[in-house]
Amino acid sequence: MSSNTASLLPRETASPESKRGWLPSWLSSEHPFPWLFPAAALMVVFGIYPLLYALTLSLYKKNAATRKMVFAPDHNWTKILSDERVWNALFNTFLYTGIALVFQLVLGMLIALLLDSDRKGYGILRAMMTLPLVIPPAVTAMMFLLMLNGSFGVLSRGLIAMGLLPTGFSILGNASTAMAGVLLAEIWQWTPFMVLIMLAGLRSLPKEPFEAAAIDGASGVQAFFRLTLPMMSKVIAIAVLIRGIDLFRAFDYVKVMTDSGPGTATETLTSYAGRIYFGNADFPYASTIALLTLIIVIVVSSAFMKAFKVKL
Amino acid sequence: MEGSRPLRILRDLAAITVTGLFMFPIFWWALTSIKPISAVFDKDRVNFFDFVPTFINYGVTLFGQSRSQLAIDEGLGMGVAGADAYDSRQSILESIIISLGATTITMAVSVFAAYAISRMAFRGRGHYLNWVLGQRFMPPIAILVPLVTIYKTAGLRDTDNLYMGYLGLMMIYALMNLPIAVLLMKSFLDDVPKDVDEAAMIDGATRWQTFRKVVLPMVKGGVAASAVLVFIFSWTEFLLSLFLTTDIRTVPVKIQTFVTSTGNEWGFIAALGTAAIIPSFIFILLVQKHLVRGLTLGSLKE
Amino acid sequence: MSFKDHDKLTFIADAARDFSARRISKRDFLKKMSLAGVGFSAFNLGLLGSTRPSRNRSFGIGDAAYAQDADVTKWLKDVSGPFKGTKIRYTSEATPPTVVLDKLKGEFTEATGIEVEIEIVPLEQVLAKATQDVQGQLGSYDLYYLDQSWVATFAQDTVDPIAYYKEKPDLAMPGMDWDDFSKPLVDGLAVYDGHWVGIPFDIPIMVTMYRKDILEKHKIAPPNTVDEFVAAVKMITEAEKANGMYGTGLQAKSGHYSLECDWTQVVWNNGGSIFTKDKKFSGNDEAAVGGLKIYQELLKNAPPESTNSTWDGQFQMMASGQCALVNSWDEFFPGLDADGSKVQGLWECKRPIRGASYRSPGDAGFGEIPNPAHQGGSILGLSKYSKNVDAAWIFMQWACSKDIMTRCTLGGGFAPMRISSFNDPRVKAKEVVGPGTTRHLPIVLETINNDMASEPDMPLWAGFSNNEIPVALGKLLTGQDYGGDAKKCMDDVAAQIDKAVAEAGL
Repeated sequence: MSSNTASLLPRETASPESKRGWLPSWLSSEHPFPWLFPAAALMVVFGIYPLLYALTLSLYKKNAATRKMVFAPDHNWTKILSDERVWNALFNTFLYTGIALVFQLVLGMLIALLLDSDRKGYGILRAMMTLPLVIPPAVTAMMFLLMLNGSFGVLSRGLIAMGLLPTGFSILGNASTAMAGVLLAEIWQWTPFMVLIMLAGLRSLPKEPFEAAAIDGASGVQAFFRLTLPMMSKVIAIAVLIRGIDLFRAFDYVKVMTDSGPGTATETLTSYAGRIYFGNADFPYASTIALLTLIIVIVVSSAFMKAFKVKL
Repeated sequence: MEGSRPLRILRDLAAITVTGLFMFPIFWWALTSIKPISAVFDKDRVNFFDFVPTFINYGVTLFGQSRSQLAIDEGLGMGVAGADAYDSRQSILESIIISLGATTITMAVSVFAAYAISRMAFRGRGHYLNWVLGQRFMPPIAILVPLVTIYKTAGLRDTDNLYMGYLGLMMIYALMNLPIAVLLMKSFLDDVPKDVDEAAMIDGATRWQTFRKVVLPMVKGGVAASAVLVFIFSWTEFLLSLFLTTDIRTVPVKIQTFVTSTGNEWGFIAALGTAAIIPSFIFILLVQKHLVRGLTLGSLKE
Repeated sequence: MSFKDHDKLTFIADAARDFSARRISKRDFLKKMSLAGVGFSAFNLGLLGSTRPSRNRSFGIGDAAYAQDADVTKWLKDVSGPFKGTKIRYTSEATPPTVVLDKLKGEFTEATGIEVEIEIVPLEQVLAKATQDVQGQLGSYDLYYLDQSWVATFAQDTVDPIAYYKEKPDLAMPGMDWDDFSKPLVDGLAVYDGHWVGIPFDIPIMVTMYRKDILEKHKIAPPNTVDEFVAAVKMITEAEKANGMYGTGLQAKSGHYSLECDWTQVVWNNGGSIFTKDKKFSGNDEAAVGGLKIYQELLKNAPPESTNSTWDGQFQMMASGQCALVNSWDEFFPGLDADGSKVQGLWECKRPIRGASYRSPGDAGFGEIPNPAHQGGSILGLSKYSKNVDAAWIFMQWACSKDIMTRCTLGGGFAPMRISSFNDPRVKAKEVVGPGTTRHLPIVLETINNDMASEPDMPLWAGFSNNEIPVALGKLLTGQDYGGDAKKCMDDVAAQIDKAVAEAGL
């Protein structure tokens, strides 16, 4: 915190004619400090403090029988390296994030293009498209749990009727298909968010280049690849960043639908941390896994921001 | 870009089909909420409309109806319902209070921060923004144990003081939503030309007056759009609410109580799940236009 | 008119108007609506009012005839003076007694002025919240709902009720009659290391349930042994699969406690145990692996959705007519018999199937008792960290009193803790097909007295039974790992568990 307040010094000296002489200049509205302070205070008290607490926790070893905590700074962090389930979870987390991102991005872009029209009725369609966003993820998960039930679920029964799956096949109860089932819920719920971002991008593009291209006789597809996509690249990058961060930490769907299963087929880092937390009550180890997730998110998203020159 | 008539019709059809596909799960959920359980779990077929609809799931979850009260009224027999455990009106109220509170706090702090970031040049501006974005990196599960302990010490648990319990949950939701709110507000504020501020200040207004009287009114729509997103994320949050509160039960947590030792109350889950869509959806409809403008998150500006 | 009443009336009126338009009489509609089996779980189906007023009318727990005992009310009023206005809390899974108690608690508050908040969450979240509470000694909860598999974990955090009853004679509820609690339940659930951790509160226990009509159709006698059960299951699958019916249904959800319950039962039935007397994991010995192989066989004869089903899914399989033979929780029974159930009166139950022999408890470790009937009971424990111990103690005695426990049973048709409840004429009178039936209770009582098993009593068990064991089983049963080799799977579990036990220094 201290380093941050220090760096908040104004580059240009505060406005010469300070309107409220009785306040020190850094408390006047000309100075950024009063503007930034409330959010910073929130982040310190509710963000940094718990984070430091979690870090401390990860340095303790908990005896499962007596519940005694002993300071053992390397215990959890070495355990994490040798824990096969962590590696499996790491792989699954990247798989989950990657697949969901690709689908949400492509579908989001296509649907945004489709719905980006001023003609009558399209406003209603765009509004309906936002509906999935307002459902609590834990409820969405219950919903798909029911729809993907091999015996009674409407989606499973549909696929079975089309001959795509054997009778009674349990999508979520099968190691090879469970991930697809969970991803379906994730993609369904968050593609609309992508649609909104893409729509925002499309609507703020300048009209002239497209008119020029149309005069030159470029087809819609050509215009998309030569104009829309390059101009949208920054929007896409920030959409990938924001969604990617959320996907990497996704919890509710896996928790409610498969609880990491079958076996560890859908176990992500956060859901594994959840299992250790809920099932074994090994809070220090759960914290360590969750912190590992945090570290990876920071590293990957920083690298991404550098690579794609994302400026906030 | 509109193309010929057949192409237009094709596009209309595609748009309707795609939207319809995305609507299907919600339609199915709503349908499930008015089905008798025997129609939900029918081993022989999938029931679309071949059932006698019932509204008892709504009666019990939203109107405090006792599930067997109807039978009693009709003199059909007796049984006790345990309906109190399923009456969700209190939860809806609590969810609304918390989401509104969290939205207010989030918007208050983030509009200020976003204004400074958008308008003032200061050292560490980039770091500050990254720090804000960093709040979204934290997996909630990492801070459950710390928060529970800290809240206990700080008296922010609802078991000690109900109002502080509300405040505690609002504060953590405010933190969780800070990144999206700040980025969105920065994007909306960037849309307002800086000349506007300068003109006002030349006229002798302070920063505060400029912000309050000139800039803020120009981004009202943006504030509304951001507030709605924050409201939705607070309304739908589950894990933190589950662990930080005991007496307060937000809607997503309430729905979890329908998972029982003898089976899930699928009808109630569907009914409350369907009903919980409505408030957020109304809000989102109101601000959709602004939302569609601001969600580029400022990335299209230099 | 209160808001609630007003809403209720408008609701009824609206519903009736909607339906008169479709030429369904109001009476018919209401009957259908409340009785046709609307979105309810097993227990709640059991709670629905009966269509046979003449017979069942007077057995509801809310009836005036069963209003609070005057003596009890007087005692509550006398003893609760200093605690008026306090609020006590407990967290629990939505088990039948808890849900009924949540309904009845108003009577308690009315008499005492003590408010009761029951926080209902799914089982594993109860564990997490209770663990958090004891770890930080937060005192957020005054009472804990403790599943039998966690009793050892929480033994150090509760007040011994027997000792407290003697210690505080001024707060002791008259007529508590501790000897009335069924002895096997006290030993199996409540007692750890020689003292009571809490009071027995709920006892779901595994019995064998079968579809009388299907068995008769194929001329199969209700099975008594594991071999007979497996043979019957296979035969039914073969004969009925075309009709969408399987021999059995399982609660084999990977990583869930329900799968662990199924597994311990097959291990015990095959003469195995989870631990040996020298505290080594023995789920990988010949007997135990043999049991697991039988389970793999059974899974082939169960709906494929079994691998994603907990007790909820298993009940739906039974209620929808997807299976004919099940060795599982007796708590399903009232729901199966509910009005509007497709299988009303078709299921019967008997004492659980037996294996050829059982390992003696002396040869098993950590107080494990291998037997034919796995139980998932729970107790109510008084928190040591509570700031309202005495108020909570008054509530706990009231909740576990004869009157309340019997009324809880009447409300849901699940097995009572007290011998006197089993013999209560009101309970006896409900031993007929219908919602909230108690016709399975004589079998349940026999099972408790003769066949009840117990999982190991050890502080690490909550973790093993919720994570290590059911996750490895899930890998095996869904083909993620081990290539279907049960022995390999169990060797893996053994390595993990033996290491954790050694690390904890047990």
